[in-house]
Amino acid sequence: MTQAHVPSSSTVSDSFQTEVVSFGKQIFQQLGKEQPGAFNKNFWSGRIMEWSMTQKDFKTNMFRLVDVLPSLRNSEAIATHVNEYLSDAAKNIHGLVEWGVNVDPKGLRAKVTALMVKQSVKQMASQFIAGETPEGSLKQIRRLRKLQLACTVDLLGEYCLSEKEAQEYLKRYMDALVVFSREIPKWKESEPLIPGHPGESSAVCISVKLSALYSQCSSLNAKRSVEILSERLFTIARYAQQHGALIYCDAEDTAHNPMIYQVFQNVFGDSEFRNFPYPGIVLQAYLKDSEARLYELLEFAKTRGAPIAVRLVKGAYWDMETVLSQQNNWESPVFSKKESSDANYEKLTRILLENQQHFLPAFGSHNVRSLSFACCYAKHLGLTPADFELQMLYGMAEPIARAFQKQGYLVRLYVPLGELLPGMGYLVRRLLENTSNESFLRHTFFDSNEIETLLAEPTFKG
Amino acid sequence: MSDRTFQNESPLDFSIASHRDDFNGAVGLVRKRIEQREYVAKPIVEGRRRDCSEQISSLDPAAPSRIVGTVHLADTHLAQEALDSLATGARIFNEMGYEKRAHCLLRLGDLMARRRNELAALMIYEAGKPWKEADADVCEAIDFCRYYAIEMLKLGPPRQLMQVTGETNYYFYRPRGLGVVIAPWNFPLAIPCGMTVASLVTGNPTILKPAEQTSVIASEFAALVLEAGVPPNAFAFLPALGESVGKFLVESPQVHVICFTGSRDVGLQILRAGATVPAGQNHVKRVITEMGGKNAAIIDEDADLDEAVKGVLYSAFGFAGQKCSACSRVIAVGDSYEPFLSRLCDATGDLLVGHPEDPATFLNPLIDQTSQERVLREIADARGVHTLAFQGEVPSEGFYVPATIFRDVETRSRLWQEELFAPVLACRQASNFLEAIEMANNTQYALTGGVFSRSPKNIEYAYQHFEAGNLYINRSTTGAIVCRQPFGGYRLSGIGSKAGGPDYLLQFVDPRTVTENSMRRGFTPELV
Repeated sequence: MTQAHVPSSSTVSDSFQTEVVSFGKQIFQQLGKEQPGAFNKNFWSGRIMEWSMTQKDFKTNMFRLVDVLPSLRNSEAIATHVNEYLSDAAKNIHGLVEWGVNVDPKGLRAKVTALMVKQSVKQMASQFIAGETPEGSLKQIRRLRKLQLACTVDLLGEYCLSEKEAQEYLKRYMDALVVFSREIPKWKESEPLIPGHPGESSAVCISVKLSALYSQCSSLNAKRSVEILSERLFTIARYAQQHGALIYCDAEDTAHNPMIYQVFQNVFGDSEFRNFPYPGIVLQAYLKDSEARLYELLEFAKTRGAPIAVRLVKGAYWDMETVLSQQNNWESPVFSKKESSDANYEKLTRILLENQQHFLPAFGSHNVRSLSFACCYAKHLGLTPADFELQMLYGMAEPIARAFQKQGYLVRLYVPLGELLPGMGYLVRRLLENTSNESFLRHTFFDSNEIETLLAEPTFKG
Repeated sequence: MSDRTFQNESPLDFSIASHRDDFNGAVGLVRKRIEQREYVAKPIVEGRRRDCSEQISSLDPAAPSRIVGTVHLADTHLAQEALDSLATGARIFNEMGYEKRAHCLLRLGDLMARRRNELAALMIYEAGKPWKEADADVCEAIDFCRYYAIEMLKLGPPRQLMQVTGETNYYFYRPRGLGVVIAPWNFPLAIPCGMTVASLVTGNPTILKPAEQTSVIASEFAALVLEAGVPPNAFAFLPALGESVGKFLVESPQVHVICFTGSRDVGLQILRAGATVPAGQNHVKRVITEMGGKNAAIIDEDADLDEAVKGVLYSAFGFAGQKCSACSRVIAVGDSYEPFLSRLCDATGDLLVGHPEDPATFLNPLIDQTSQERVLREIADARGVHTLAFQGEVPSEGFYVPATIFRDVETRSRLWQEELFAPVLACRQASNFLEAIEMANNTQYALTGGVFSRSPKNIEYAYQHFEAGNLYINRSTTGAIVCRQPFGGYRLSGIGSKAGGPDYLLQFVDPRTVTENSMRRGFTPELV
């Protein structure tokens, strides 16, 4: 790491901070009273969220129930689990009794309960998951493009425990590429949302979870894991190149990340993919070593001689990293305070934007402050909306996505596809995120925190 | 020191490349020492290493042409000499005091921590342990030293019990006397270490007789015990054959405590022998035995199969099933049976088999040829009776046994009842959770158990009714950690002691009460 990489100023000026806040206020103004579907109390999910945020026991039990539902094979099993998880909560929450908590699992009403619960959870899942198959998701993707929103598609799945399952995953990625690259270019909505934006060189974009492609992927098997994963990503990338699709490699937990970055560099550093447009990788700002990682990516982009896309996120494995490091007495790889991740996010944002000639920065967040900071800093550097993009999760924060889109920025949604079983795990993670005490969306749409507080500059807290 | 709180030694984080490199360096170093024939395990009596005429070679189970080291075998004469030496040292060792003995354990833990990679590497070659398991074994050994040291500091000071005017009542512990530790090869450092240091810290001069197969690693440990400051006439190391010297020690009237971990049959023999009071023995021997298990995992109908398959895979085939905690039976409830079994078999087929010096190796060989032949025979017999669901492939060199899964296994069958200590798994279906618990309990043992379920009611039922000393919910059933999961079983799995738990040391001591009348000539100091 050389001095040259250090951002132009270690802190930004007060006037710049004022600019960020006033930009953020504009976004909030646009939001008006609009709520993300998940928080809408007219829907089942909105009420569940409300109870989850006010009653901690309910939250744990409800989410555990949601998690187990798809593996329950008949109405008796569903009614039994509903009782086991929710009968205590039903004492305080009258609405639950209406939904059939405490019915006799063997009785007739159990069938009604089961049906209702299943339908409700399916409805809830459909807010976050665009479909079970690539074909089944086309309608949603097209709807998003009509709303001027770009997509990257993610395939949800179970753990990959055998090579048979790894091959199935690989095939799913290939099938998804086939379907999307055959169908999407036919639409008039496939025209670039922002002409000349590198992220819109194709309307087809997938996010690959690398560890799903090899069943024996482990850091103790690092050499072989990297070889095999590189080989399999080559296959996907070759196909994507032929069909003009874009690729992101998702980041995972710290046990897998070193291999993921290695595989990404192996494949997209190869001369075969010299012209692959903006291959994407993910950087997690909650990691203490993320800045060093970013400089490594910068070096890679320079060596490659063509820019790469970097999706900057806060990171989705915080609980897992924290538990694992605490149980093993390891130094935690993640910042313990959420605000530190937010502060680091802004630091990394600046480095990304200052090196924009080597990167397509993609700011993945639902936090209006983080995104406003990125937009203002880009402007400050003289960059245009064609030089970077914003990314959000499908179904999590539509009003925020639209507000930024209306300001002229490219917003890409991360759209998961998959069956109900693996989908539930994803759904539960989203519900937890929305109801967490640290959640920006919760603070915005449920707690109605002061806008000034929501837009305040984050500082490192360790 | 008494305010020192216990913390587990951290396992290595192998996702960090430098940790892998360091560890690999140690593996290379040990391999070189093996090639130069540097490892020689000799009995240590009175602090001196003794040459013996009878010697055996300790082999690398993954490459039996490689001799890891030469082992000199003690005979009963040397064993008697060791007993006499320790009998002489007993009083001094007791008077050394519990604090000094606890200090020795802390030093021993630190000495092992300093050489942890090298000790783990030696285990890779002598026991065939894969990297991560070998590292965990060393951590556990270090944990035993530190945990028992801190427990001893709590146990050591005499306690005042109920006090009434005119008398003082003190309650305290004395060492039982001479201890003999008979150790297994499957945790070749952690278990001999745990048993030995528990016996030592409580004040019992102790003889360690390691398993023949892993005498080299035990001899490294023995040297460290003395280096840590345990007096030469308080500790002896006797690599030897169990049938001769082991038996001699167990039957000796000079021995007070026998601490054994191993098979059920040998454990029961020792209990019988220990109960016999030969002429000249004025005490009852305390026998601590930890024996086998035929451990079951229940896959409930609502289980998360991702976690269940992963958990069973590791519990059944980790270290080739050679753990007393290993899972050897699976009971899947209702409709979970077929999808579980199908994913498990696929996953088992892709496990990496190889020499454990390769960090990628998941499935290692069995410990020796005798075990290999015995297990292959058992598998062949079982194939005549049960339906084979899956059998993997293994290299021709080395004592490997393929990972093997049988389905629809009858609960009365030998395969369901007898511990094999191998990567062999018997599976069957139950119609409901209660029946699954019954099937799980249908064994002589009660060591570990696993439940994969997302039904709060069924989990609660398992808490109450699943017979297992260590029950694990929604995780693998092996890898108990000192202080976090005190380990041990009941029924024929053992006498109920919990290694790495708060009651363990009490087995090595006799409690005493001393009451003193403080009133003399009608005058008591408290009332002045």
